[in-house]
Amino acid sequence: MRSVIRTNEFTLAVIAALGFAALAVATDFNLLTAGTLDAFLRFLALPIVIGLAQMVVLAVGQMNLSVGVLTGFCAVASGWLMVDAGLPAPVAVLAALALGAVVGLVNGLLVIFTRINGFIVTLATMTILEGLRYGVNGTGTYQGYSPGLREFGQASVAGVPVVFLLAVVIAVAVALFFRRTVPGRHLLAFGGNPFAARLSGISNDRALVLAHTLSGLLAGFAAVIVVAAFGSVNASIGDDLLLPSFAAPIIGGVALAGGMISVTGTVLAAFLVRLVDVSQSQFDINRRWVDLIIGAVVLGAVLLGQFRDKLSGGPR
Amino acid sequence: MKTETAPEAPAVPPAAEPRPPARALPVWANPRLGLLIVIAVLVVLFSSLTPAFLDPRLTLAPLQADISVYVVVGLAQLAVLSLGHMNMAVGRMAALSTFAMGLAYDRLGVPLLVGLLVGLAVGAGIGALAGLLIAKTGVNSFVVTLALDFGLLGLVTILYTWATGGVSFAVQPSGLSALRFDTFADYCMGEVCGPRIPLVVPIAVAAALGVGLLFRHARLGREILMTGSNTVAAELSGIPTHRRVVAAHALSGLLAALAGFLLAANNGAFSANIGESFLLPSFLAPVLGGTLLAGGAVSVLGTALGATLTQVIYKGLNLLQFSLEELKLYIGLVLLAALSLDRLRAVLAERRAVSSS
Amino acid sequence: MTVVLSAEKLVKTFPGVRALDEATLTLTAGSVHALLGENGAGKSTLIKILTGVYRPDGGQLRLPGPDGELRAVQLGNPQDAQRAGIGVVHQERNLIPAFSVAENICLQHLPRRAGLLDRAALRTEARRCLDLLDLDLDPDLPVSRLSVAQLQLVEIAKALSAESTVLLLDEPTASLTNDEADRLYGIVRRLSERGHATVLVSHKLEEVFAVADTVTVLRDGRSVAEAEPLADHSREEIVDLMVGRAYQQVHLAARTVAADVEPALALDAVATTAGHHDVSLAVRPGEIVGLYGLVGAGRSELAKALLGLDQITAGEVRVHGRPARIRDVGDALHRYRIGYVTENRKEEGLFLDQTVARNTAVTVWRRLARLGLVRDRAERSLVDEYADRLGIRLASPDQHAGQLSGGNQQKVSLAKWLAADCDVLIIDEPTVGIDVRTKAAFHELIAGLAARGMAILLISSDLPEMVTLADRIAVMREFAIVGELDNDHDYDRMSQSVIRFIHDGQGVVA
Repeated sequence: MRSVIRTNEFTLAVIAALGFAALAVATDFNLLTAGTLDAFLRFLALPIVIGLAQMVVLAVGQMNLSVGVLTGFCAVASGWLMVDAGLPAPVAVLAALALGAVVGLVNGLLVIFTRINGFIVTLATMTILEGLRYGVNGTGTYQGYSPGLREFGQASVAGVPVVFLLAVVIAVAVALFFRRTVPGRHLLAFGGNPFAARLSGISNDRALVLAHTLSGLLAGFAAVIVVAAFGSVNASIGDDLLLPSFAAPIIGGVALAGGMISVTGTVLAAFLVRLVDVSQSQFDINRRWVDLIIGAVVLGAVLLGQFRDKLSGGPR
Repeated sequence: MKTETAPEAPAVPPAAEPRPPARALPVWANPRLGLLIVIAVLVVLFSSLTPAFLDPRLTLAPLQADISVYVVVGLAQLAVLSLGHMNMAVGRMAALSTFAMGLAYDRLGVPLLVGLLVGLAVGAGIGALAGLLIAKTGVNSFVVTLALDFGLLGLVTILYTWATGGVSFAVQPSGLSALRFDTFADYCMGEVCGPRIPLVVPIAVAAALGVGLLFRHARLGREILMTGSNTVAAELSGIPTHRRVVAAHALSGLLAALAGFLLAANNGAFSANIGESFLLPSFLAPVLGGTLLAGGAVSVLGTALGATLTQVIYKGLNLLQFSLEELKLYIGLVLLAALSLDRLRAVLAERRAVSSS
Repeated sequence: MTVVLSAEKLVKTFPGVRALDEATLTLTAGSVHALLGENGAGKSTLIKILTGVYRPDGGQLRLPGPDGELRAVQLGNPQDAQRAGIGVVHQERNLIPAFSVAENICLQHLPRRAGLLDRAALRTEARRCLDLLDLDLDPDLPVSRLSVAQLQLVEIAKALSAESTVLLLDEPTASLTNDEADRLYGIVRRLSERGHATVLVSHKLEEVFAVADTVTVLRDGRSVAEAEPLADHSREEIVDLMVGRAYQQVHLAARTVAADVEPALALDAVATTAGHHDVSLAVRPGEIVGLYGLVGAGRSELAKALLGLDQITAGEVRVHGRPARIRDVGDALHRYRIGYVTENRKEEGLFLDQTVARNTAVTVWRRLARLGLVRDRAERSLVDEYADRLGIRLASPDQHAGQLSGGNQQKVSLAKWLAADCDVLIIDEPTVGIDVRTKAAFHELIAGLAARGMAILLISSDLPEMVTLADRIAVMREFAIVGELDNDHDYDRMSQSVIRFIHDGQGVVA
C-alpha cells in the first residue's frame, strides 16, 4: 500500500482529483453539467494521444520533434483525400494512420542510418513536414467532409465523448504493449540498458525503428481525432502541440534517458494541463497565465522527482 | 544482428607504438567548405533565375540584416551546444530581453546603447538562472529550458499587456532607425562612401568574432568545452564545472538578447512576437555548420555559414514566389542532406583509414 | 572426468599488443576453476572470447556436441555462446533496473503466448533458475529494489537461464561483503555438485583458495599453469606464477628522504562521509608512500575525499604543516598544489575527443592566460616540454588523446599535473593495462619525480609495483589503515607481511 502511495502516479491522481473538485466547486458545479464536462473530455483526447506519441520515443531515450507537425500533416492529408480526392472517410482514416506510421518509420531509419541524435533528425523531418503540410492545401481549410466522421467526433456514449474513449483505448493499448508484449519489453530493456539489451540478443536498431514508427502511428491517431472532433482542418494544426507533447510525459514521470515510462502518469498529466486550460476559460484569465503555470508545473514535477530520488537514496 | 562488439577497449591496450599519425582531414571532408560552395552555387543560381536577387537595396541589404540576426541566434544555441546542452527557451529569452529594452526606452528614455545593455543583462541573467538550475539539480537541460520556455511564453505576454496594453512598445530610441535603414553607403567621407552593408552587420560580426575568440583562445571558453567533453574529468582537473555551466547558459541568454535586439532593430519595433521564430534556426545553423549535440566541440564559422545558407535559401525562394511554408520543405531537405553527407563522409573516412593501414 | 570446454592455443592480437599468446583453458564438469593473472595478463580477453564478444585470431575452441564428443565451434556473438551453454556474469551490471527479477533472468528468451508475454511461464522459468541457486526471491520484485548481493545472484540466475553448463564469474565478489561472498561461494559449490563447471576470475586469493579446485594462471597472454589442481600449490607459488619472477629491481633514481622534514601531506585520524575512519598517513617531500589494498578497500575513495569530493568529518589534513580545508580539485590544485592522477584514465582522467595539447594544459590555463586569453605559444612550448620529459610519442600536439596508446594516454594524464607544478601527487593505479616495458619506464618516471622532491602517494593493487617503488607501504582494508611497513624491497618478505595485514586486518604496526 505504501509503495502505491509513494508513486508519482498516485501524487498526480490526487492532485488531479483535488483540482477537478476545486474547479467544480469554484464554478458552482458548472463543470459537471453535461455540456461542459463533454467539452472537457472531448478536447482531452488530443493531448493524451500526442503525449503518448512522445512517450514511446522517450522510452528508448530519443525525442521526436515532428509529432505535432506530423499530426497536422496527416490531418490535412486525410482532409484532402476526402474533400479533393472524394474518397470515403474510412480510407482517409486508414491513410492518415499509415502516413503517420510511414513517416515515423522514415524517422527511425534516418536515425540508424545517420547515427545522429533523433532530436536533430526529427528537427529536419519536422521542417520538411511543415512544408508538406502547407503544400497540401495552402492556407485553405477543409470542412464539410464526411458527416459520419464528424458525427463520430461529436458522439457520446453515456455522456462520455467517443473520441475520449478512443484516446483511453489507445492509452490502454500502449500500456499493454509495453507491459505485456515481448517487443514492448524489448524496447524498454533497450531504453534502460542498451548494452545489456544487446548482450541479451535485442537488436538496438530494431528497437529504435520500432519506437519511432509507433510514435508516428500515434501521431496518425491524433490526426484522426483532430479531423473527427474539430470538424475542419487547415495547415496550422499541430503548431501548438510540440511543447505539450513533452509536458505530459515529463510531468507524468517519464525519464528522458529512456527505460522508464508511465502511461497513467502521462494521461494524468494531460488531464492536469487540460484542467488548467479550462480554469483559464472559465475564469476568463489571460491565456498566457496557463503557459506560465504549465512551465512552473513541469519544472516543479522534475525537481520533485529529483528530490524524491535523493530522499530514497538515489535511484537504486 | 551484427556481431561486431561495442567499441570497447581491448583488454590490454596497445603498446607504446604510435598509431598512424592523424592526418589532416582531406579537403572534401570539411563541412565548412561544402557550405561555402553550396552558398556560392545558390547565389549564382538565384541571380541567374531572378536578377532581383542582386538588387543591393531591395535584396542584398535586407538579406545581410537577416543573416546578422540568425547568425547571432545560432551562436546563442552554440553557446550551450558546447556543453552538450540545449536551450529550448532561446526565443523566449530574446523576447523577455527585448521587453526589458523596450521598457527602458519607453519609461526611462535611456539612450540606445544603455537600453541594449539593460536587455543584454536581462538575457544573461535569465540564461544564468537556467544554468544554475541545471547545474544545481542535475536535471536535463532540455527539460529545464523547455519549462522555462513555457513560463517565459506566458510571462512575456503578460508583461507586454501590463506595460503597453498591447503587444509592442511604440518607441523609437534615436539611432534605431539608422540601424534599420542605413547602410555604410550612407556615410561618406568626402567622395568615398562605405560599402552597401547594413549597420547591424558589424554587430553580428563582432559577436561571432567574440564567441570564436572565447572558445578558441579564452580560458573560460576552453574550460566550457572541456566540461562538455567530459564533465567528470573536468571536475577532477580542477575546473569549476558548475560555474562553467552557468557561464555557458548566461552567454546563451546574452546572445539571445542581442539577436532579439537586432531583430527589433530590423523590424523597427520591440514587440512580444520577437523570438517566436528563433528555435528552429538556432539549431539549424550550428548543426549545418558541423556542430553536433555531443558537446566539447563547436564551429563558429560553420554556424555563421549555416545561418547564411538558410537565409540565402529563404530569400532566393521567396523572390521566386515560393511561400514561407514551402521554403521550410527545402530547408529541411538541405539539413537532411547535410546529415546524410556527414555520415557518408565518416564511412568513407573509415574506409580510407582501413585501406591505408 | 568429462571435459565440457576446451580452449586451445587461443591467440588474440590488438594493434601493438598480443593480448593472448596461445592461451589454453580446459574445463571439466563439476569443477570450480580459478582463472588467475595480473591486470593485463589476458583474463578479460579470454573471457570475451569464451562469451562470443571477441573472435580469436588463432587457436580453437571445442565444446561437446550432442554425442559428448568435443567439436570445434565458432562463437560469432554473445547469443551463440549462450546457446552453446556458456553463461557469464560480467563485472559490470547487466540488469534492467525497471524490470522484475523474472524478466531480467529470462531477458534472452522472454516466453510468449498468443503474441503476449507469457507471465506464468516467465515466473515458472525464473523460479526454476532461482531454485538452482536455492534462492528465495520474489520473481515479481523489480530489481531496483534489491541489494547489491541479491543483484549479483540474479545475474548468476540469468547466466544459468539458458541451461548453461559453463558459468563464468568475473570478479563476482568485488562489491560484496565477506558474508555475502561466502553465501555466493556456497551456491557455486552446490552448482558444481550438480555438474556445472564454473570459471572464477578473482583478485582475492583467499577466496580462490577457499572455493576453487583447479587453476589456470595467465601471464602475458600465455598459460603458465594449465588446469592444475589447486591443492598442489601454495599461495606463494601461485603469486610467483602470476608475477613470474618478472619482479625485478628496476634501476631507480636514488633518493634520500630527510626524516625530520615536515610532511607535505599529512592525515591525522581522518574520517570521511565515504566511510573512512581513523586514517593517519604522512608523505614527506621526496618520499613515495604506497597505499595498498584490495579493490574496494577504500583507497581511491580516500583520494577523492581528500580532494573535496566527499566531506571529511573528523581528524585533520595538513599540507606542509598547515591545516588544510580542501573544497574541490581546483582548490587542491591552486591553493595546495596537490594533483590526483585518476585510476580510470578514459572516464576520469582524459578528454578523449580533445587534443593532447588541451589535455596537458587544462590545469595551467589560469597561469598561461593574459586577460583571460591563453597564450598559444606558451601552451605549445609547455606541451612540447612535457611530451619530451615524459617521452610521450606524438605525431602532433593537436592529435586527439583518444588516438594514443594506453601508455601514452597515461603519460598525458600525468603530464597535466606535472605541468601544474604540483608538489604533492596522488597517483592511482598508474600501470593498469599497460605492457611490461612501458610499466618499467613509468616506474623510473615516478621515482624520478620523487627524487626531485615531489611527495607521492601511490595507490596500487599491484604488489610488485609497490615493492619496487614505495618507501613505506600503508595497507588499507575496509576503509581503514590496518598497518604500515617500511619497505626493504625484499619482495617475498614484503608480500607476506602485506598479505598478513590484509587477512588479519589488525592494526599492528610493524
